[in-house]
Amino acid sequence: MTDSDFASRCNSHRAYLLRVAVLQLRDSDLAEDVVQDTLVAALTGADTFSGRSSLKTWLTGILKHKIVDAIRRRAREPVATPLADETQLEDMDALFDESGHWENPPADWGDPESALSRAQFLDILELCLEKLPPNTARVFTMREVMDLDSAEICKELAITSTNLWVILYRARMALRQCLEQNWFAPAGRR
Amino acid sequence: MRTLGLLISCRDASRAISQMQDGSVPMPLHLRVRFHLLLCEACRRFLAQMRFLHAAMRRYRM
Repeated sequence: MTDSDFASRCNSHRAYLLRVAVLQLRDSDLAEDVVQDTLVAALTGADTFSGRSSLKTWLTGILKHKIVDAIRRRAREPVATPLADETQLEDMDALFDESGHWENPPADWGDPESALSRAQFLDILELCLEKLPPNTARVFTMREVMDLDSAEICKELAITSTNLWVILYRARMALRQCLEQNWFAPAGRR
Repeated sequence: MRTLGLLISCRDASRAISQMQDGSVPMPLHLRVRFHLLLCEACRRFLAQMRFLHAAMRRYRM
């Protein structure tokens, strides 16, 4: 394979890499920079691509490091969005009655796995992710998209494990509700 | 969690179920959740939905 073939194959994943970076960083300029750095690193390190994993997986691995670097740099700057609102549980209690029962019990989603093969479902999922508050989205994608473990995330963001589980809980509750309303709603289209 | 014995609320069970997606929870809490799930269909659905969400995120990142 020639260098220019490799470059154009890498470039074909640019839009995907950018979507992941924007979701993670919530800053389109910074996301562009990070994707640019990723592609440059991929081209200069082309000989380290063994072909054992797919090119997309390999590029995502590089992107992961670049995003963590960017978050780390930003962590040293004053935080634009205060984390406080996203690390408390009180408002989540509204989802339960006084004795701790669900106000609106989770609905029956039927056979949700069949949704996974549908492109529209992934669009709805992405929409739901975009609606999360910025820090919540960042932490959730570090966990579930970048597959970092709890200890790594706490270390990177300098937050406590309690903060972490509260943020992840908030993210999951919001995503559950969003998917139920927009995809699995019993009175919905499906 | 402010609970005595085996009974925990859906609120506390849902929190524990989320934590279980990221690692283990202490055994006594784990047992309370298991017991709660035996009795509570809503929380069984919630657990299934949390597992599905994880699977959906795996698909999303591919």
